[in-house]
Amino acid sequence: MSRLEFLRYVTIGQYLARDSIIHRLDPRFKLLAFGLIVAAITFSSTYLANALLVLMVVLLLILSKLPLAHTLRGLRPALPALALLALFQMLFPPQTFGSTRNCTVIWRWGFVGLTSCTLQLIVVSTARLVELFVLTSLLTFSTTTTELVHGTEGVLAPLQQIGFPAHELTLVVTIALRFVPTLALQMERLVKAQIARGADFGTSGRFRLIKATRRLLPLLIPLFLISLRRSEALIVAMDARGYTGGRGRTQRRRLRAGPTDYAALIAATVFCVATVWIDAASLDQALIAWLEAFIASLK
Amino acid sequence: MKANGQATTVLVRRIVIAAMMVAITVLLGLLPVGGFIPFPTGVNATTLHIPAIVGGILEGWVVGGLIGLFFGLFSLIRAATPIFKDPLVAIIPRLFIGVTAYLAYAGLKPFNELLAIGVGAAVGTATNTVLVLSLAVLRGYMSIGLAGTVALTHGIPEIIVAVVITVSVVAAWRQISTRSRGSSV
Repeated sequence: MSRLEFLRYVTIGQYLARDSIIHRLDPRFKLLAFGLIVAAITFSSTYLANALLVLMVVLLLILSKLPLAHTLRGLRPALPALALLALFQMLFPPQTFGSTRNCTVIWRWGFVGLTSCTLQLIVVSTARLVELFVLTSLLTFSTTTTELVHGTEGVLAPLQQIGFPAHELTLVVTIALRFVPTLALQMERLVKAQIARGADFGTSGRFRLIKATRRLLPLLIPLFLISLRRSEALIVAMDARGYTGGRGRTQRRRLRAGPTDYAALIAATVFCVATVWIDAASLDQALIAWLEAFIASLK
Repeated sequence: MKANGQATTVLVRRIVIAAMMVAITVLLGLLPVGGFIPFPTGVNATTLHIPAIVGGILEGWVVGGLIGLFFGLFSLIRAATPIFKDPLVAIIPRLFIGVTAYLAYAGLKPFNELLAIGVGAAVGTATNTVLVLSLAVLRGYMSIGLAGTVALTHGIPEIIVAVVITVSVVAAWRQISTRSRGSSV
């Protein structure tokens, strides 16, 4: 029955308190730096850039003083998906990858083949997954939900001048996070009510699609309707208290950035530019050529 | 003063409905029941895009797009597969789910509201499937053949589930007569 305690699954805001430089960063600067590094990861498709990125996130993880094993544990469920991706890539080899155009065949057996592009894709996707996984865990483990929300509002605040609803957006996140546990309890009730009426969750296998789909309906439809009803109550409550949006609203706690915050942001910017430059200049091709020449000269 | 009061209500309504739909998305993503339908292929069909469709149909394209944005961010953070750890694949397609759902709904509403809701849900789901798979192909995670297969095996069941749930929810909420007698659930 412990499977039915749904609050157990609500694992957002898994803040782990540590006394580290990463924990102390101003959330606005942390978010900006995070965005820059995510961009660098997204646009890097070479071996060299990804090797640097892996080093970077490992260094950040060490700096954050978070337990390594705990952070990496969530990677395990990703392994089958990675294997599946590799398999599909070998069955249907891609024609090009990133800036590499001329794929050479490394190994071929029937219609299963491995080209240099396939290999690069598999290695880079694995690296990207590890990098992004560590980075997102780092952000959520080292920043409280409140800090994240204030940070987002702070980052978006300059856009408010041109009419971008930064305050309203953050309010959406705040309300959503507030209601996730409430709705989890609601869902628990719905599931238990269905089980009491003889519904069967979790035993039918993958091949009983229609059954699996049908039993979702008496859960999802009430969940939507109940949450819409709650919304109406909240709308009335907010209107009654005269909420008029973000204009002219002040904050109780103001964020102040120090030299460390600026230094972190500058470091992230430099790093982001450097990896993109490595990618654009196809520096790793040059490096591979140089290594090949070096090995040849040894012989 | 009156005009101002009305504008505020619309703003509050949009914020709250968007937030509630985001909460449902996050919840379904976290719970073991409700967010995914296990498929024989090993990849699960999802219901996580439905809140974006419902929000879009109820409150317009801004709310639909906003829910999609947070759905994308959430799937980026929680993803355990390389495809959705790519921000381009995780976020961009999701922005359009609620927008296209609303446009299809708004276009057909004068003819038949129930049909409009159903078509809206189908269009929204198809937007998600098609854009995610196209970006996955463009970003080199999938070949076109594989993407086409996934579109057929997962896209169609996802559309059916989304249409059934969206029509039931919106029709019940707006109290539109569906001519079916009583509750079947």
